[in-house]
Amino acid sequence: MKISPLFLKVGLGGAGLWLALWLVLSGCTQAAAPQATDRAALAGKSSIIFSGTVSQLVATSFPDVPKSAQTIVVRVDSVEKKPAAVSLKKGDNVTVEVKDVSAFQEGTHATFYTDGWIFGAGVAVKELGHELGAAVEPAPMTSAGKTSGQSQDQMNDQELLDRMKASDFVVVGRVTDVRPWNVPKRKSGAPSRVSEHDPDWHEAVVEIQSVLKGGKVKGNKVIVRFPSRNDVAWVSSPKFTKNQRAIFCLNRDQSTGAPTTTMGGTQVNAYTCLGHGDALPISEEARVRSLLKNQ
Amino acid sequence: MKAVASSRLRFTASAPSTLFLRALAAFLTMMAGLLVARGQSPAPPSIKVVNLIPASLSGESNQDSEPFLAIQNQNPQVMVASAFTPNPFSMTGNAPVYVSQDGGKTWVLNAITPVQRMTCDITHAMATGENHPRGDLHAGTLACATGITLDESESNDVSVSTTMNVQSTRGNVDQPFVRALGVASGDRIYVGVNDFNQANGRTATIDVSVDGGATYKSIPIETRKTAGQDGPSVRPAVANDGTVYAAFFGWRKFNGKTATSDIVVVRDDAAATGANPFQVLKDPSDKLPGRIIVKGVSIPWSNAPALGQERIGSTLSIAVDPNHSGTVYVSWADKGSKGDIYTLHVRSSTDRGVTWSKTDLPGTTIHNATNVALAVANNGVVGFLYQQLAGGRWVTHLAQSHDGFMTSRDFVLATVRADQPVGQFLPYLGDYDYLLSVGNEFRGVFCANNTPDFANFPQGVTYQRAADFNAKTLNDGSGNPVPISIDPFYFSVPVMP
Repeated sequence: MKISPLFLKVGLGGAGLWLALWLVLSGCTQAAAPQATDRAALAGKSSIIFSGTVSQLVATSFPDVPKSAQTIVVRVDSVEKKPAAVSLKKGDNVTVEVKDVSAFQEGTHATFYTDGWIFGAGVAVKELGHELGAAVEPAPMTSAGKTSGQSQDQMNDQELLDRMKASDFVVVGRVTDVRPWNVPKRKSGAPSRVSEHDPDWHEAVVEIQSVLKGGKVKGNKVIVRFPSRNDVAWVSSPKFTKNQRAIFCLNRDQSTGAPTTTMGGTQVNAYTCLGHGDALPISEEARVRSLLKNQ
Repeated sequence: MKAVASSRLRFTASAPSTLFLRALAAFLTMMAGLLVARGQSPAPPSIKVVNLIPASLSGESNQDSEPFLAIQNQNPQVMVASAFTPNPFSMTGNAPVYVSQDGGKTWVLNAITPVQRMTCDITHAMATGENHPRGDLHAGTLACATGITLDESESNDVSVSTTMNVQSTRGNVDQPFVRALGVASGDRIYVGVNDFNQANGRTATIDVSVDGGATYKSIPIETRKTAGQDGPSVRPAVANDGTVYAAFFGWRKFNGKTATSDIVVVRDDAAATGANPFQVLKDPSDKLPGRIIVKGVSIPWSNAPALGQERIGSTLSIAVDPNHSGTVYVSWADKGSKGDIYTLHVRSSTDRGVTWSKTDLPGTTIHNATNVALAVANNGVVGFLYQQLAGGRWVTHLAQSHDGFMTSRDFVLATVRADQPVGQFLPYLGDYDYLLSVGNEFRGVFCANNTPDFANFPQGVTYQRAADFNAKTLNDGSGNPVPISIDPFYFSVPVMP
């Protein structure tokens, strides 16, 4: 990737811009400079984005991080994106495991697109990409990545896209009924199982208002099974209430051993909603449509 | 319990000590002097309690419950702890473990387990048969997605970011509990599981590997008719001579609210490598393998808050003297007496599990308590870790005794409000905590309300995360407030002589 001066912040003064222009024109840069769309994609994949100045090569910023030829220490100038749980601020030293150490020297300024690695007295990250120069303009991210205090429970764009790709259906709908549902006794006569992880299955009847992925659904209704138990095994699973509106990522039921159910006297597939991001608030509809459209 | 209260406050936390705390320490020191004058021993020095959350995760407020601990015996500076801690930066990244390389003073979070984001059960042990100075960590994890999947996996070096190597996997099991022993030929691994794949509802099972996890064999250890299954907890214990014990709840009746259960112990004298493993101990009542320590106890089963904000139903621990494999201790919780929700008991055997104490060891009947963990030190002293709900507080005790609890010493490691924080899920503190011995130390882990208040930690405490002990508040490292939550705590307590 080549650096583009268009994306360099002029905040450091004209010198930064002129330096970058000189670097580009002279062909001296070894930088990775994504185009705007690439940068947005990179930002979507990154859990931690910050700008900083390389202070040490082949070094680490705190004990217990394995030092290698690929690890450098970067002093943070500004934080563009991070999970809320992570303590990272201007002036902190971060260990970055870079892809190509020859791109950096002590004193190099860059914006680092990274994923978390080791968390101790400080933060260690792995580079996904970087842009040389002073801090870049914030990338045009969608709602999951737009703040520096990203919720611990919020999926980034790539994670959400991956989840939707794995779904049989993505629908906008409203819950019209919720009821307990017992797994039918097995014909083998095998005993029921008691565990602290028992899901306590419930069924939600979801009236479909629009289908974002998948074909037409007969009768515009689906049965969605979900665990109502507040056990650690199901803490990430959405719990539904009557009249709740949401965006549902649905998969055919492969969990309960009873993949079909009866609705209106007809045998139909049952679906499950089990994981993070399987039910999104309606406020996420624009983001979901955008991701599906641009995939 | 004949116990000596802890008597020394240590100001090891990052926050400055106050005049009040100094005065309190002086008062407690004076009280300790009075106790000594009456012939009781003062508390030994260098008790250590450390909050595991690293400074760089000061903004977290997860319910990091159900802790576990592994120690690399060849290099006890290296330890691995775990809890229900999610990956801090990714919904789809690996679930992490806590790693210390300095004997528990500092901990880092390293996302190396084979489970996405957060496990829904994890235990582990570090065997030393393969000469990896920061390994071999053997873990049993449950991944909960469309179903529940057990992975039995290994790491040769817990300091690097390589995902643990999955050596065996299957579904339909519950509560893996890993113990391991390093021998010259490699690592022997014993994983207690409640295996619903077993025939006839005889679900108590030990997965055995004698080749470092390359191959596992599932061995059912229940020989009697069950109520359709055994209880979730199946706990192995391994002595240095290769003797392996396991304890389990043999469920005989279950009505949805109460299990009528036998407390059963099995033993194997050949590392479970023979033709009929775990069948040495037979009960005199029916001549079947599996010695029944107590028959038909009532165990309340509640998958909802029952003891404070904690659930109850399967609390069990077993420990063997590492150097005298004939001495073994078992603890469990049951309904107890009227007005009591959940009662702990400790029994012992000194003849390889053939006969057992007829009643609880002195002072070990503990009311309204859970999360028991037993360990036996090299000098034969037994440690008894438990958490008791008393006066609206969760009180974490470590008692130890060299004479079967005829006399004992009890340290309160933490005493915290039980109504805060509000639980995010179950288990609130954990379905278990853990205790080990190494050298002349008991080391262990427990979970507790993380309010930074010296009064909550009578032995002192060190926080890595940003905390203001004067204001009794947490912050994110930049001064922004962070709500209290459940955190895992590591401790080290000297073994009594």
